[in-house]
This record gives sequence, C-alpha cells and structure tokens, in this order.
Amino acid sequence: MTSHTGRLYALAFALVAFFLAWAVVAAHPWGTAARDTRLQALAAREAQLRREAKLVNQVVAQRWALYRSRLQARRSQIAAAEKAAPASTPASVRVVTLPPLTVTRTS
Amino acid sequence: MIERRTFRAMGTEIELLVEADGAAGALEAAEQEFHRLEALLSRFREDSELSRLNRDGTLAAGPDLCRVVGLALAARERTGGRFDPTVHDALVAAGYDRSFEQIDPRCQAPCPAPGAAGGAVSVEGSRIELDADVRLDLGGIGKGYAAERAAEILATAGPCLVNAGGDIAVRGGRWPVGVETAAEPLTLELSRGGLATSGRDRHRWQRNGRELHHLIDPRTGEPAETDLLRVTVVAPDAVEAEVTAKSLFLAGADRAAREADAAGVAAVLVTDDGRTIFAGGLAA
Repeated sequence: MTSHTGRLYALAFALVAFFLAWAVVAAHPWGTAARDTRLQALAAREAQLRREAKLVNQVVAQRWALYRSRLQARRSQIAAAEKAAPASTPASVRVVTLPPLTVTRTS
Repeated sequence: MIERRTFRAMGTEIELLVEADGAAGALEAAEQEFHRLEALLSRFREDSELSRLNRDGTLAAGPDLCRVVGLALAARERTGGRFDPTVHDALVAAGYDRSFEQIDPRCQAPCPAPGAAGGAVSVEGSRIELDADVRLDLGGIGKGYAAERAAEILATAGPCLVNAGGDIAVRGGRWPVGVETAAEPLTLELSRGGLATSGRDRHRWQRNGRELHHLIDPRTGEPAETDLLRVTVVAPDAVEAEVTAKSLFLAGADRAAREADAAGVAAVLVTDDGRTIFAGGLAA
C-alpha cells in the first residue's frame, strides 16, 4: 500500500516536473533576450532618425523662407519694371537732326 | 553723364549706354548677362543648351531657352511663317555653318542644295521637342532677347540703350540712333521700345560665284530673293523689331510698305535700286 501510494506520488511529481520543464522550454527565455536587443537597436535608430528629420525640416523651412522672401522681392522688381515700361507700350520714335550716339546696322 | 561699354558677344559688337554716374556694377552685370545667354543660345557652341537640343531632338531646357523658343514660335505664327526658327539646316546648307568671321567669302565649292525649314516644335513646360531632322537657329531673335534682358539690368542704374549689333533696346531717356538710308544717314530719336535692322548688305558671301546671304526664306529654304537691301523697324521691344524687320524684308518693298503702314510700324526700307521708303507713319 505504502509502496503503491509512493509510486503514485512519484508519478504525479514526475508529471508536474515534466510539464514545468515543457513550459520553461516553450517560453525559451534565451530567445526573448535576443529579441529585446534588436528592438532596443531599432528604437535607438528610430530616435536618431527622428532627430535627423527634425534637423532636415528646420533647414528646409529656413531655405523655403529665404526662397519666398527672394521670390517676393523679385516679383516686386518685375512689377516695378513693368509699371515703368509696360511691354505693350508702343515705341516712341521721331526723326531728329542730332548727331547719333549709336548706329543700327544689319544684324 | 553717359557711361559706355563695348565688347564682343554673340558674334557681334555689343554697346551699352547708360545715363548715370557710378553704373560700373550695372554695366558689368549687363555684359555678364550677354555672355551667359550666348553660352545658352549659340548654335556654334557644342555645349550650349541650343546645341544639345539640336543634337538630341529633346531637352529639359532652362527658362531662357524655353522663353526664346516660345517667342520664336509665336513669331512664326504671327508672320505666317516668314520668320521661322527652323531654318538652321537651310543656313548650314547655304554655308553659314560657322561664326560669320570664319566663313570664306569667295568659296569655290559647289552651290549647296536648299535646306529644309518648317518642322514641328513643341514646348511643354520646360520640355522642348523637335520633330525628326528639325534644328533651330535663334541667332537674330536671341540677340534681341539678350538686348532686352541686358536693358532690364541696366535700367536699374538709369535710362539706357543696348545695341547688340544693330538690335537695339531702350529704357527711358532720349537716344539718337543713326540709320543708314540709300542717301544721307538718318537719325531717329528713341525713348522707349526697340529697333532692329535686317538686310543682306553685310552678312553675305559667295559660293562658286553665286552670292548668298544669311536671311533664309523658309518657303524655299534658300537665301531670300527680294528687291529690298535693308529694313529698319521700330517696335515695342527689340525682339519684335527683329522679327518684324525680317518679315518685312522677305515681303519685298511694296508689300512691306503696305504692311508697315497698315500695322502702324515705323520702318525704313532701302531698296536694291537705291530708293528709301519711309512707312508706318515715319517721315524724313
């Protein structure tokens, strides 16, 4: 009887030990450690890229602002030039008796 | 006080006049503009944008070449084909295949076959496309365009005149300009707009005894045959003056005088037989 009960306990203990070992192996904690390293590297890379993107955006914003201010200045110049001498203005010419400052020849 | 600068560019003598003191910076900038545009628009420079377009038949071109080609195509439309930028091959066939100073004036080579003109050219955004066997010459209109651009720059210093080998652009002031006629020279006072002279009295040469010149009639592909020797036109700008002068030259004396009168374009026409005709409201 005692021996039978002992064998039952031993069998139950062996079954518990087996399933515990199975659970440990299935969880493979060594794999988790390796995945964590890669995730950390990716997170670090992401942070670096975010910093670089922020810098690039700042440079682009500065250049865009410079371009817009120059474009506005150039448009003002063009508007002033067109106001001073519109393209459609007919030429102004008359015959005079003055000595010429320059001469037109066949081009 | 008038400051003056002369230099060579685009195969001709360029003269800049500005009525201002201390205009050295503007004069320098205007001269550099000529050299910049020559580097883009010359058909005699292998590395120019125009040469690359003529070689490849298509090009994503810069704004200046697009603008000049656009102006040339508009001029072709406006003049009913008398002005045509596609006369490149006809010019080469006629012997104008190098800078004018390098052409042998009395070459004994056989007369060339007429060159082609009139092919399709399209400009979509910055992309220019030429039909097969179409090449462009922007010599005359390019000089007018450069004169206008240089005048824009010089005008920041004061009233000015730019003379690109006869293609003249004026911004303000009063500028007496000498014009050759069949008899006494004439002086026209110009205060705005442009003026240009086209003719066959200077750029001409011989091939096997036949006299040729650089003004091609796009309809025949050969140097134009007309009773006019020279045409001077005053227009709102140098580009339009250049185009109109060439168009009137090809029209012949009678028709040119009628057209100039009808359009109110001031013009001086000098004929082969030594007559000077004033048209478009101009009177000596």
